[in-house]
Amino acid sequence: MTREEALEIAAAAGAEETIGAPEPEIREGWLALARGSTAFWIGAVIVAIAILFGLVSPNNVFVKADNLLTIGLNASQIMLLAIGMTFLIGAAQLDLSIGFSLILASVLSAKTIVALGGTTEQVARGEYPNLALAVTAGIVVAIGAGAGIGLLNGLLVTRLRLNSFIVTLATSGIAYGVALILTSAANVPFVPDQLQSGFGAAKFLGVIPYPLVVALVVAGFFWWVLRRTRFGLRTLAIGSSREAAIRAGIDVDAHLVKLFVLMGALVGVAAVFDLARNASTNVVGHQSDNLAAIAAVVIGGTSLFGGIASVGGSLLGTLIPVMLGNGLVIMRVEPFYQFVAVGVILILAVYFDQRRRERSS
Amino acid sequence: MTAVPGSEVAIRATGIVKHFGHLEALRGADLVLRPGQILALVGDNGAGKSTLTKIICGALAPDDGELRFWDEPVRVQSTRHAHELGVYTVYQDLALAPDLSVADNLFLGREAIAGGWQGWFGVLERGAMHVETRAALGRLGINVRNLNVPVRNLSGGQRQALAVARAINWATTAVLMDEPTAALGPMQSAIVYETVKAAAARGLAVLVISHDIPRMLSVAHRIAVMRHGRVITELDAGAVKLADVIGLMLGEEVAA
Repeated sequence: MTREEALEIAAAAGAEETIGAPEPEIREGWLALARGSTAFWIGAVIVAIAILFGLVSPNNVFVKADNLLTIGLNASQIMLLAIGMTFLIGAAQLDLSIGFSLILASVLSAKTIVALGGTTEQVARGEYPNLALAVTAGIVVAIGAGAGIGLLNGLLVTRLRLNSFIVTLATSGIAYGVALILTSAANVPFVPDQLQSGFGAAKFLGVIPYPLVVALVVAGFFWWVLRRTRFGLRTLAIGSSREAAIRAGIDVDAHLVKLFVLMGALVGVAAVFDLARNASTNVVGHQSDNLAAIAAVVIGGTSLFGGIASVGGSLLGTLIPVMLGNGLVIMRVEPFYQFVAVGVILILAVYFDQRRRERSS
Repeated sequence: MTAVPGSEVAIRATGIVKHFGHLEALRGADLVLRPGQILALVGDNGAGKSTLTKIICGALAPDDGELRFWDEPVRVQSTRHAHELGVYTVYQDLALAPDLSVADNLFLGREAIAGGWQGWFGVLERGAMHVETRAALGRLGINVRNLNVPVRNLSGGQRQALAVARAINWATTAVLMDEPTAALGPMQSAIVYETVKAAAARGLAVLVISHDIPRMLSVAHRIAVMRHGRVITELDAGAVKLADVIGLMLGEEVAA
């Protein structure tokens, strides 16, 4: 039998295979299509929260532009962390160390800025003759420290073949311990206020907070990287089937190290945001940053099993806890209910993710 | 196509030994793959067929023995190294990434990258990837409407066809196939084997592991029989009878 004959017989027998469902028909409508996407549901939840708090807050203050921008500003740090976490979870890895790495990076950065800004007497008086140099060095140190911890995480996971959950739980403790040793658990004094006035509390065109602008630009870039580049494709390939990626000739270990370093570098940027927004370190904060970032990513439609990831979904996912916290404060209710609500939403998101997996396999 | 002048052996494995703990999976196996030739590797379960294949494709390192590609001794370090040597494998478990699209899977590890500044960022040329994927699958009688569907949504037969299409598309020296039609119906496996024959006619060396011995007798040029970690004999597929092959696999003497 020749190939043509086989094809003919196959065609006659109706055996010619077709990959892919027919194009969805228009009359099904966009609503029917959207029902299948996580972004639609999370968008609906966000709109529902906005409407609810908008209606019940005094003078509808919750949905005023000023308050919405404040929500964006408050979400900007977790947005940065969630972007890196989207790539890691997309590759079926986790990083629990981000909150305490952030503290360590901010402590090292603040100490650099204070040491280079001027003499001890000058900085104590609030004078910084070398402000530009000191801040530049501080930014480099923050990002370098974050990336360094990421490199350590990546090497431990790939070289020692350890689970990233345990590795980053351990390095999280190490980072926290080092930060407290360096500071004796007190915040680094004399961080220049100019960081706050020039960036942390400043607004682009007098409207949009700078940290939010930076977070959105970074998010846009990495959305593009995930969707359009080889780096994004290989990230998801590793998460989808590590074995398939290895056999396709991809250097999986090197790629994973890059992902942990990327996560760490974004932790460093978030550490700079922290200094700029508070004009201080925050060595007792960030206890739940890792939970917040992971929750945002999973709520946003990235699969905990890896292989499926969405930077846009993660951004929306960061908004839910911040909106709840902000709304509850406006309503003069304890904002701590937000943690309960996020926990419940996270469990629902993971449950739906798992059910989707079970249905399709 | 890649035939080196003066050499008619693409891959020669000599005296390959492999232990797994106390288990001796291969005890000095010899195998020769020639360009343009389909070699069927048959044997009982545990005879060492998959292990020998994995050593040739770089997935396992041999404990002893020599591999030669185009008469050059080579230590195959990894599957990536094997790819560089032009050797691609269709694994029994297919090695596809279920969440990635059909086109992304066909190009995984060999992505088409745009030129200019986009090349610096590794921007994918998905348009070109789709055109080539459509053509590669079309040769296997697979009609593709939507190349963006995740592989998870394909049938078992479609996945197998995709894995075969991927190996044939990239191989320049040899294609190794471990049970390449296990999930296919009779029509589709006929199409796959016709495509494999066409690939061999282009000059590829082809190794097929299969339990479907009647089919191997009609598809392959040569049949190598493995038993207890050795290739005990190699026969002309056109001149041997099914009963003889089965007898050899199970350890009986060939009825002369």
